[in-house]
Amino acid sequence: MNTNHPGFGISRDDHALQLQARLAGKFAAALSEGARTLPHDITERLRFSREQALVKAREMRLAPQLASATPAWLNSAGTLVLGGPLPGWHRALSLFPLLMLVAGMFLIDHWATREQVVAVADVDAVLLADDLPPAAYQDPGFIEFLRTPPPLPLSFP
Amino acid sequence: MATEKELSDFLKSVEKRAFKRAVYAVRNDDAALDIVQDAMIKLAEKYADRPAAELPLIFQRILSNATMDWFRREKVRNAFVQNLSEFEKADDEGDFDLLETLHTLDGQLGSESAADTVSRAQILLLIDHEVAELPARQREAFLLRYWEEFDVSETAALMGCSEGSVKTHCSRAVHALAKSLAAKGIKP
Repeated sequence: MNTNHPGFGISRDDHALQLQARLAGKFAAALSEGARTLPHDITERLRFSREQALVKAREMRLAPQLASATPAWLNSAGTLVLGGPLPGWHRALSLFPLLMLVAGMFLIDHWATREQVVAVADVDAVLLADDLPPAAYQDPGFIEFLRTPPPLPLSFP
Repeated sequence: MATEKELSDFLKSVEKRAFKRAVYAVRNDDAALDIVQDAMIKLAEKYADRPAAELPLIFQRILSNATMDWFRREKVRNAFVQNLSEFEKADDEGDFDLLETLHTLDGQLGSESAADTVSRAQILLLIDHEVAELPARQREAFLLRYWEEFDVSETAALMGCSEGSVKTHCSRAVHALAKSLAAKGIKP
């Protein structure tokens, strides 16, 4: 059915399609005009939905950056700074507690060793200064003597 | 990758039409608002890194899926499928004079000099009502093709049907609207 439309030099089908498109355009324009006059509460809820979506998009964009960022730190103004490299003196400062811990453990070890040496020296000094010679402690008879309770004093009626 | 401004402008440009499309489908303002919000957030969450030019097609698909999800949740899928069966219903559109309706609309909507603005608003409401009354597939094809201004192949891809089906649905929709308006007394 491709007969020419009288007076236009185009086929009847093409003419019908053009007419349909023009009419559809009019309907669509009317719909658009109606959509522009939506009630205020509807437009406000649509605006809220749009803003929620934009917040979500912002979060999704920031997520990969935050994952690879260094931890948060406070700058000189006391403002929390997220991401970016830490300054050199901040990194050095963060090592200070670790250094203090190692130094403290070293001092405690040194103090404990010195205490043991002093205790042994005291024992040695007492042994050497005693009347009993140290070799007596290696004599089995002397050990037995020490374990044996002293004899009861003789009692006479 | 779409910038935040591009995304914002896109959502702003499409939100009212999306709402109306959802209302046509679910016939409930609150549900339609929820559907549009879901679609917007899903677009922002999953596709904000896409180029701005791709957003319209993606958003329409998300909106269609969100609408279908709503029907599933409402457990009225059977009713919906019943409506879908009407899509293939043949219309006797052959003899209807589109030109007459076009001239009528040109006269009543085409110029700002129309004296009766109340009548104009009534015609807008009438068209809105008649669009809502179209069978779902015809309405979807008509709105995507002529309101969202997708071409035939894009509309076919969004609707999951052939280009020929899109043309048929659009033709039937336009004829049905023209007929309904004529029946409501909009004559030259």
